[in-house]
Amino acid sequence: MIKAEHLFKTFTTPDHREVKALVDVSIEIEKGEVVVVIGPSGSGKSTFLRCLNRLEDIDSGRLLIDGIDIYAKKIDLNKVREEIGMVFQHFNLFPHKTVLENVLLAQIIVRKRNRQEATEIARSLLEKVGILEKENAYPAQLSGGQQQRVAIARSLAMHPKIMLFDEATSALDPEMIGEVLEVMKKLAREGMTMVVVTHEMGFAREVSDRVIFMEDGKIVEEGTAEHFFTNPTSERTKLFLSQIL
Amino acid sequence: MHFNKRSLITLAVLAAVLAGMYYFFTKRGITYIWHWESIPEMLFYRGGKSAADPSVHLRMGILMIGFMLTLKISITATFFAIIIGTIVGITRLSSEPITRLLSSVYVELIRNTPLLVQIYIIYFFFGSMLRLSAFTAGTAALAIFAGAYVGEIVRAGIQSIHKGQMEASRSLGMSYAQAMRHVILPQAFKRIIPPLAGQFISLIKDSSLVSVIALADLMFQGQQAVARTYYAFEIYFTVAALYLVLTFTLSIATQFIERRLAISD
Repeated sequence: MIKAEHLFKTFTTPDHREVKALVDVSIEIEKGEVVVVIGPSGSGKSTFLRCLNRLEDIDSGRLLIDGIDIYAKKIDLNKVREEIGMVFQHFNLFPHKTVLENVLLAQIIVRKRNRQEATEIARSLLEKVGILEKENAYPAQLSGGQQQRVAIARSLAMHPKIMLFDEATSALDPEMIGEVLEVMKKLAREGMTMVVVTHEMGFAREVSDRVIFMEDGKIVEEGTAEHFFTNPTSERTKLFLSQIL
Repeated sequence: MHFNKRSLITLAVLAAVLAGMYYFFTKRGITYIWHWESIPEMLFYRGGKSAADPSVHLRMGILMIGFMLTLKISITATFFAIIIGTIVGITRLSSEPITRLLSSVYVELIRNTPLLVQIYIIYFFFGSMLRLSAFTAGTAALAIFAGAYVGEIVRAGIQSIHKGQMEASRSLGMSYAQAMRHVILPQAFKRIIPPLAGQFISLIKDSSLVSVIALADLMFQGQQAVARTYYAFEIYFTVAALYLVLTFTLSIATQFIERRLAISD
């Protein structure tokens, strides 16, 4: 489903320092797999995720999504992105639109569904994430957890093949993290291919098929959750785990 | 409104100033015989089109005719200023350097030369080449002038929208243009209503400058009326009041729109 080959990316900060965000990152992710990416801040995990739908460009390497090289020159990026949902740390709902309209917009203008069909899809997804009763509210009237659930529904409405989660619970008050994780777990059980950048170790242990630990732009450790949490090989991973657990 | 002790003092000072001004203008200053009675017929009158026309209808007087043209010029110029400004605002942020350069050259050129000079250049130079009417030339000059300022306001508005909005739109498969149209611009325009309103109020006032190319707007008709009657004080006060009607209406309308759009905040 996702095949990354030797991805490299370097940022130049405003004060002209070079930061290596991705250093020779290669990974293959199967259909239906749930991969959790963890690591300290600045490790390149968010950059890696944002490269998967080309919100960031890479310097070199190759990235195949469903067999399509998305960094090829003549690629219809919008078509690629229709198939990849993304959930952001700060939700990024459209504040001038109601909950329902947020879920409708891309369905209508990108997927070209008629309003009635789009509304049916939107309502069933809002019900699934447990927020249908707020369909006519504006984002500013919702709690963080509610907004994030709407954002997930908005992405799912495109019927994506892959869902990317970029620290989806990091901006939430503690009591709201659970409701968002529940929705993510439900998705995982349904067989969605997911790449999840998170600090939620419980989620990683319980739901993931594979855990990737990144530092300084490199994949330092990779394996099943079981292996990762009980028997990590790298010293760096052991140190990280001892700090957070 | 809440009045307190300080309001009373302010009112007392204001009354004293007005009394002083009244004394100065009536007792110390010029003697002037006011002719306010001749103003109403410059707004509306009952009668024929000319002395030879025997019909009796309610007709617009000279100032009202000018007022209507000012209204027409202002609305047309505002419409095109929004279009020009939106294009300029977007191209100023283009990733393509030539496009970006062209739009900033336009903004700098227009903002750094006097409007009066621009009106003359557009009317005499472009106007005679392209055979533009005074109306077209005058309105175009105003739209081009205001468009540069609107462009800067639109650019600031777009930049004020969090980049997460564009990222969310693009990650849903929207094109740049779709994201602009459905997500970024609606939010940006809502945010820039106050400075835009200020710009359009300026445009209404600046429209008085087109009287120099013999476009018979409110200012021009006022000057004509003064030339004929010598009632300069009454007529210019009336002209000012008529401009105030336009600008104040716009001001009130903006506040109303702002309140309506605040629902989603």
